[in-house]
Amino acid sequence: MPTLPDLLFYALAGFTLLFGFLCVANPFSRNPVTSAMFLVLTIISMAGLFVLLQAFFLAAVQVLVYAGAVMVLFLFVIMLLDIKEEERRRLNKAALGIGGVAVLAIAGLLVRALVQATPLASAAGQRAEGSTKPLGRLLFTEYLLPFEILSVLLLVAMVGVILLSKKEMK
Amino acid sequence: MNLSLFQSEIAVVLLGLGVLLADLWLPSEARNKLGYAAAAGLVAIFLYGFRGLLIDPVHVSVFPIGGSKFGMFIQDGLAVYFKQFFLLAAAIVLLMSVEYSSRFTAGISEFYSLTLFALLGMLFAASSNDFVMMFVSLELITITFVVLNSFQRNRMASLEAGVKYLIIGALASAFMVFGIALVFGSAGTTNFEEVRALQKTLAANPVFLVGLLLVTVGLGFKIAAVPFQIWAPDVYQGSPAPATAFLAVGSKAAGIVLLMRVLFGAVPMLTSHATKLLIVVAAITILYGALCAIPQRNIKRLMGYSSIANAGFLLLGVAAAPHEGLTATLYYLTGYLFTVLAAFLVIAVVLRETESEDISVLHGLGHRSPYLALALTLSMVSLAGVPPLAGFFGKFLLLRSVMAAGTLDSSYYLLVAVAVVGVVLSIYYYLGIIRAIYWGGTNPDKSVLRFGITTKVALAICIAGMLYAGVLPHFLVQTASNAVGSSLHPEPVTAQTSAAR
Repeated sequence: MPTLPDLLFYALAGFTLLFGFLCVANPFSRNPVTSAMFLVLTIISMAGLFVLLQAFFLAAVQVLVYAGAVMVLFLFVIMLLDIKEEERRRLNKAALGIGGVAVLAIAGLLVRALVQATPLASAAGQRAEGSTKPLGRLLFTEYLLPFEILSVLLLVAMVGVILLSKKEMK
Repeated sequence: MNLSLFQSEIAVVLLGLGVLLADLWLPSEARNKLGYAAAAGLVAIFLYGFRGLLIDPVHVSVFPIGGSKFGMFIQDGLAVYFKQFFLLAAAIVLLMSVEYSSRFTAGISEFYSLTLFALLGMLFAASSNDFVMMFVSLELITITFVVLNSFQRNRMASLEAGVKYLIIGALASAFMVFGIALVFGSAGTTNFEEVRALQKTLAANPVFLVGLLLVTVGLGFKIAAVPFQIWAPDVYQGSPAPATAFLAVGSKAAGIVLLMRVLFGAVPMLTSHATKLLIVVAAITILYGALCAIPQRNIKRLMGYSSIANAGFLLLGVAAAPHEGLTATLYYLTGYLFTVLAAFLVIAVVLRETESEDISVLHGLGHRSPYLALALTLSMVSLAGVPPLAGFFGKFLLLRSVMAAGTLDSSYYLLVAVAVVGVVLSIYYYLGIIRAIYWGGTNPDKSVLRFGITTKVALAICIAGMLYAGVLPHFLVQTASNAVGSSLHPEPVTAQTSAAR
């Protein structure tokens, strides 16, 4: 008998996949704004999955940052570029075939692994604390070094964006 | 927490930030010269780093922070070896960028500091002892290279290189992070040493195996091994020459060191069962790179395919596993550093003067600058594997280690055969470049190529390195062997069929 969290998981996971598919390959609309909206729905379904994992902070950040800030940026870019309808590309049959085979192979591999796998004695289960306090503690103790490296990475990203987008001077 | 373990990393960060800030106060003519300061700084860190190599080659210390028993950061023989490698490569690349700087329209000091930050990622990669650490340092390298590759933003080819690297790099990262999630989910830890302690039970867990496979996809992208090589020719062709050089040497070596850490640090037992997979990948990579390089006319694209073929040669040692194979890989990588950087120093100077990148720009190089012609010739001869240069001895060591492994599993002999075919094919296109230099016909541009004294010195270092490594390989092989012995735990190859499929 599946419990409520199980049912919620399947529903949310299904929504994530469905909206993700509609975001990249919507058969009804070629409008980029529609795709962006489906991306928002994908992100919100994923936030739901985080809640099920008790990662509440991550869920909130997911909604605030990705569904909020990043998506607004996407929409701005779409508006500024004034893309109305994306052109339909002619499908390259060979590429489609190879891609399909690759997708099937990877999916087959994953499914086979998951079917054969025995349920784990939840080793990661002890860490299922998702509020800000344990997260912050982990970030600044055990994961301090990667965290600091990420700060350099953000600096690089900033410098790079400015370099690639600023007006030609001299 | 022992900050002295990080001294080279901290010094590189400070150097990078210093270069970035110095740009604010320096007049624009003086900015080019910042590259010299940065290179000098790296050379100082490089020389200081020898302390760790000479005093105590098997010195192991970890970075135990938080509650974890094993640290994320490990400073052992292998880490020191690769750090020295990266520092030297970055110093030469910086000198190359100073020479090439007239081709950048804006932001030369940012180019220097981004090179330093990419170097930082490589230094951390060399010391990674944890999947998280590995992912973060690889991301730092990848993101920095996206910017470096598209640095000449008024050239379409450069932007194309940046976009292709960004998209395929993001795809590879996605595979890798998914793999890490599966590994963490099945092992309950991301630490290499904790995973090694658990590897007997984990070997039976298919989820863990899939996770590991996906992690190697991300690493395969970094070293440009088939089937993840598709980006290499386009990106090598489009990027500015110094960025291509750093990509070919630094980024590839970072992938190799992480591959070694994962395969022989975290799951040596599984690796010894999965040699068939490595043999196949190495063989296909060598053949693909060598065959596709033959018809190329663009120098940088040719170097791209050559770099794929060399990734295959590096994998030879990894496939042959125990000690000798990994030592040979380290040795080959060092010879590769001198050889490829020498080639790119010459290419950077030649391409600076011209828009075309066709091999025909090399025509008459023997008259325009005998020194450059000599350096490029030596480097091509070394890449082709002609004695007494580094490339020959590297290939010899690699093939010997594969032959030695062949007594256990006869498919290694097939690999040797493929590698020999690859070497023979590669002689054709490397000698094609030499022919273009001396017997290529006349070049309409007969002007003498001018370049700075530092480029001369950098070239001299590369030539000396090639000769030294080739003629007196003992010290280098010994150091590489110590580095492998102190850090990795390769298990002898088992002849059974792959359990990791």
